[in-house]
Amino acid sequence: MNGKPSNPFNITYPSAVQTSLHSGASVAKFDPSGRFVAAGRPDGSARIWDLDTKSTVRWLDGHVKGVVCVDWSRNSRYVLTASKDWNIVVWDLASEIDPPKRKTILRFDAPVASASFHPRNSQILLVLLSPGDAYIVDLRKHNHGRVELCEVQDDSDDEAQSSKHRSINTVARFDPPGKHVFIGTSNGFVLVFNTRTKAMIARHKIAGAGSIKGLEFAKNGRRLVTNSQDRQLRQFTLPLYAPPSADGAYIEQELEPTYRFSDPINRVAWHGMSYSPDGEWLAGGAADNATHKIYIWDIANDGQFVNALDGGREPLVYLHWHPHKPAIASTTNQGNVLIWHCPTPERWGAFAGGFEEVDENVEYEEREDEFDIEDEDVQALRKQKEEEEEVDIQSVQVEKRGDYWKWSAADDEDIAWADEDPDDDNVEWKLKILMEEEEMN
Amino acid sequence: MDPLAGMDDSSTDDDGASQTTEDDPQVPENREPPPAPAPPPGPPPPTSSNRVKPNYELKHTMRGHTSSISAVKFSPDGTLLATCANDRVVKIWSPFTGELIRNLNGHTKGLSDIAWSSDSVYLASASDDHTIRLWDVDSGLTTRVLKGHSSFVFCVNYNMASTLLVSGGCDGDVRIWNPQKGKCIKTIHAHLDYVTAVHFNRDAGLIVSCALDGLIRIWDTNSGQCLKTLAEGHDAICQHVQFSPNSKYILSTAHDSAIRLWDYNTSRCLKTYTGHVNQKFCIASCFSVTGGKWIVSGSEDNKVYLWDLQSREIVQVLEGHSDIVVACATHPQQNMIASGSIESDLTVRIWVDRGTPAQ
Repeated sequence: MNGKPSNPFNITYPSAVQTSLHSGASVAKFDPSGRFVAAGRPDGSARIWDLDTKSTVRWLDGHVKGVVCVDWSRNSRYVLTASKDWNIVVWDLASEIDPPKRKTILRFDAPVASASFHPRNSQILLVLLSPGDAYIVDLRKHNHGRVELCEVQDDSDDEAQSSKHRSINTVARFDPPGKHVFIGTSNGFVLVFNTRTKAMIARHKIAGAGSIKGLEFAKNGRRLVTNSQDRQLRQFTLPLYAPPSADGAYIEQELEPTYRFSDPINRVAWHGMSYSPDGEWLAGGAADNATHKIYIWDIANDGQFVNALDGGREPLVYLHWHPHKPAIASTTNQGNVLIWHCPTPERWGAFAGGFEEVDENVEYEEREDEFDIEDEDVQALRKQKEEEEEVDIQSVQVEKRGDYWKWSAADDEDIAWADEDPDDDNVEWKLKILMEEEEMN
Repeated sequence: MDPLAGMDDSSTDDDGASQTTEDDPQVPENREPPPAPAPPPGPPPPTSSNRVKPNYELKHTMRGHTSSISAVKFSPDGTLLATCANDRVVKIWSPFTGELIRNLNGHTKGLSDIAWSSDSVYLASASDDHTIRLWDVDSGLTTRVLKGHSSFVFCVNYNMASTLLVSGGCDGDVRIWNPQKGKCIKTIHAHLDYVTAVHFNRDAGLIVSCALDGLIRIWDTNSGQCLKTLAEGHDAICQHVQFSPNSKYILSTAHDSAIRLWDYNTSRCLKTYTGHVNQKFCIASCFSVTGGKWIVSGSEDNKVYLWDLQSREIVQVLEGHSDIVVACATHPQQNMIASGSIESDLTVRIWVDRGTPAQ
């Protein structure tokens, strides 16, 4: 960020509620720039909040039943809303009207449970329907189509097959590079598919987990945390998956969690979890029906529990960590979105120029020449010399949004495939300010 | 780190960092008829080097304002020039032809500052009638009147996304507004004296303000907390301040006839630009980055000065105004400068770079 005058505290997880956005939401997500929050509502609409002004800038009104899932494209131009009314709408925020133009409407034959954009291309979507069918929907011209992701069935063991048949997909997510799709099932498996070929490349048994309720990745894509029926969050380090082989072979492997997180006292279940941008903290939203609790674990420090944030009495239903700041958006069952931040104590020393506040006494060592009277000419000359140093007033470090750029298309077939026929979600687009019509006084 | 490292070089070993409240500067108001112009300055430092020099020439002289001009601003798309003055009117000009396009009438008292939204659609104007008006420039109609300041509003600016507006008033307050709703989001009791300039950094996380109490302060936009104060010397009452285009530095102009470039992280003054005269008026300076990198400022000797950003040498002096030049602006894409002067001159002048001068 723009070099803020030094923050003396080194806490990198949020600890207090900064604002509550009264939005009637059941799910709320930051956009990849962290400037906006999209809040999906049970009445079928969604609101886009501007965090600069803490006000609504767009109303996405396009469903007749509740919105269950929202997602942002990598440069925040497109927002998708997935609803129980069997539809997914992709909204184009660059259009200069409110509600914005619908870029795409996708209709399915069952309520949608979740949907997300491919991290590199908003024309590829991953959709999970309530009955458990998972689809990759490709809207690009040359490979337009919907492909269902199907678990490979073993022919050898009839008994195993029949038991697997009864399992349904409960959660589906792209990994951060978008190369793979991870699907959690009701019988405690995590299935991995290749996004390009749609072939299953791995099946991981999560022992003792029961039905998988959620999947979340650390930004580097190498760590996965699962939420499951047994009220435990498990973190796994993912193996490196080889490109899919032609014969349809896949890895059958049980994954051993590196850490398990649970509430040992109340044994609460979890409604959501989210990694900090650097992957050093994990936030878990407790499914407690009387309080709003977020548990923070320190991953860099052996997964130690560090804090339970108390957000009041409205139970938590969803949470999402800010893309690059120590901030969390957590949604309550009353529809409020709490924005958590790191409060910095007021430093009164900041009001005095050339004054430095210290936390502890510092032994001051006087320089040998500190009180020598310097010749004015010498001083002027020294100053003159100092000012010769070149300054750069223009160049800006362009902050790359999202994480997609970390993986290059140069030597990876899967990423090159996703980059083909790119969308028009460019960095340069800007959300137009729409003046509200209001009577003049 | 030596806390005094960044102080004005004219101060010796005295406590240059103390506040300057005991000074009682004559409030420099560009809305009042000016006293006689100050005497011309000493010769500018000798120019050396064979760097490329600017070669600005007068292109247009626009007359129309009937009282002292206080600000001139190019629209971010470069197609329009807005000027405001003590005569209560905002004028919209074509910078290419010098034609007057539109007058924006509505304020009941004189104007001190204007700011464009980044899409060049809206203009905010700060007035002595205690209000800020937002104008739809195309239609010339007021879309919002922002009320809240308890005194003259002296300065105003949008953030890059134009979702926020910041203003400073003669009550010492800095206010943050939501221009879309026309509501005040936050009031910061920032200074003890007239706030003469406010500016957002690129991501709108910080606000820099300066006031006639001699202090430059940096604020956290979200919390309204003061993060840092930069104090200039006793004689250097700062009256205009802004972030550099990349927001790494701030540029301040002060009443000791010096413009300074600060690294606000270390509180160090990196560059000092001198040679012009600025002891009484609030004179704005600006960065010119479209061609060579210059610092541009008006002066109380009726001229416009251009300095080389790096070498701090005066590279060109634009003469033509017949009174103090308090306002100047650089075109966002072309090598063009606009300057405005107070009573008795009352003209806005457009200067265009003609390219490399003949040797």
